[in-house]
Amino acid sequence: MAGATVPLTLARARETRFAGTRYFLRRNPRMIVGGAIVFGWLLAALFAPFVAPYDPLKVDVLSALEPPGSVHWLGTDDLGRDVLSRVIWGARVSLSVGLISVSIGLLCGTSIGLAAGYIGGKFDLLIMRAIDALLAFPALILAIAITSALGPQIQNAMIAIGIVAIPAYARLTRGQVLAVRAREYIVAARTVGCPPLRIVLRHIFPNVMNALIVQVTLSTAFAILAEAALSFLGLGPQPPSPSWGQDINYSQRYLANLKWWMSAGPGLAIFTAVFAFNFLGDALRDALDPRLRRSA
Amino acid sequence: MIGYILRRLLLMVPVAFLVTVGVFALARLSPVDPVLVFAGEERDPAALAAIRQDLGLDQPPPVQYVAWLSHAMQGDLGRSFQNKQRVSEAILERLPATFELGLAALLISVTLALVIGIVSAVKRNSVVDLVSTSVTLMGVSFPSFFLGIVLILLFAYVIPGRIFPPGGYVPITQDVGENLRRLVLPAVTLATASLALNLRQVRSSLLDVFGQEYVRTARAKGLRESAVIIRHALKNALIPVVTLIGIQIGAIIEGAVITETIFSWPGVGRLAVQAIPSHDYPVVQGVVLVSALSFMASTLLVDVLYAWLDPRISYEAATA
Repeated sequence: MAGATVPLTLARARETRFAGTRYFLRRNPRMIVGGAIVFGWLLAALFAPFVAPYDPLKVDVLSALEPPGSVHWLGTDDLGRDVLSRVIWGARVSLSVGLISVSIGLLCGTSIGLAAGYIGGKFDLLIMRAIDALLAFPALILAIAITSALGPQIQNAMIAIGIVAIPAYARLTRGQVLAVRAREYIVAARTVGCPPLRIVLRHIFPNVMNALIVQVTLSTAFAILAEAALSFLGLGPQPPSPSWGQDINYSQRYLANLKWWMSAGPGLAIFTAVFAFNFLGDALRDALDPRLRRSA
Repeated sequence: MIGYILRRLLLMVPVAFLVTVGVFALARLSPVDPVLVFAGEERDPAALAAIRQDLGLDQPPPVQYVAWLSHAMQGDLGRSFQNKQRVSEAILERLPATFELGLAALLISVTLALVIGIVSAVKRNSVVDLVSTSVTLMGVSFPSFFLGIVLILLFAYVIPGRIFPPGGYVPITQDVGENLRRLVLPAVTLATASLALNLRQVRSSLLDVFGQEYVRTARAKGLRESAVIIRHALKNALIPVVTLIGIQIGAIIEGAVITETIFSWPGVGRLAVQAIPSHDYPVVQGVVLVSALSFMASTLLVDVLYAWLDPRISYEAATA
């Protein structure tokens, strides 16, 4: 009898959990749409060698400037390279720059925010003035300046976009830390002799998590857009590597000949990826952080 | 009020100092020796040493920074490595074109945001609202350089008669009509991203205000809906919009970088982009400094304007 009860309880628990998830997703259809597109792009980037129909670097002058058709779904460029394959491989560049630069911003910004908020005093004052100085630079201008100084390479684009993302994380985290620092459970933890690092990581950090998840999603959208802009200006990955921004820049020379498909593929790729991350971020904000919810 | 402004100015000093340190350090990050760039074809060691001394690059970095800062404070941002023109002069020459583009874009963006935002908020959950909120999200996600290319393709090549040229600039003093014709596509491109932000702000501010008691009171008094919206709701709802617009004015140079490049618009943003491949760092440094300082100045102006527009904002609290 007891043997039959245990699986039944587990099954019920699982059912309740799935029902909760289903209810949550039903109430947030934007999360399903945004999440599905993001997941699609992640899969395309991960499995690019298997998904892309052609080698993105393979020159085939006999098929140059072919419009979209059954052989080349998104057409070919002036060197006969398959646009769809370049778009799929370009996803690797854009998403990796997006994710790595956001990780840089998240790691540095959150650490700075936690330290400034928890330690407070002159340390907080000094650190936050430095963050204010970083915020004083318009984001794209700062990213352009850093990349142009370090050299036009994908790693430098990641560093530049990562640095630009730091202030948002630092301010967000510091604000949340200040809000919970004086709460009773933190004071209690301090009173019983809990080490500062443990207080910060075990008791304060979980309070910041929801806001950070939302910020990560929204800043990934910005990072993809910024990477595309840097590549468009020639400050990202260098030719012949496939890159959405750079491929749009390259296609400009064929605009007068109405070879629109050369820019349509990478342009729509940037749009769908950024749109999906924004959509997902907005939905997550509404679901996870009601305080940040817009009145809209 | 004056005390508040002075306090805000004082708070800006350390930030401005750190900004100048950042701009100075950025130029020094480059692995390329600026002397070699400045010298062009010249490779004679004696000549290179003379140039290094001339540019003050033989001094330790802190000394170089003090010299650069004191010159910058007098409006001297150095000379371009490419054409030896004064950087401040090059920026000043191009500022009118950038401002013309930026202000035209802002005008388009604010006008459309106000009209669509009000209709969208008043007729919440209607078709107009649904379309406008979707357009908002799409506008934020649409890369401006792709939009620019789509517009060029459509208006310069697909639609016969070339209504709007694909690029270039004619000064307004030379030919007003041609200037405006060339302004349309870049201004619309630049306006799209900020339109999305402004529209979202107008709509959500109005929806916030519609829930306030004084709006209910105005309606209860029997005022016409247009009077409630224009005289009561809009006046307060526009305060956050003013903030957003102020910040956008400060960020005109940033917004113009990509648009000026696509449309060959001879502004400050394009100046910086053209300076990058030739490692012309005094120009890049100058543009970055000017854009950061104008961004800071606009933030200050917005704060002051905000405090002036909304008397509920305490000057003491705002500086704390």
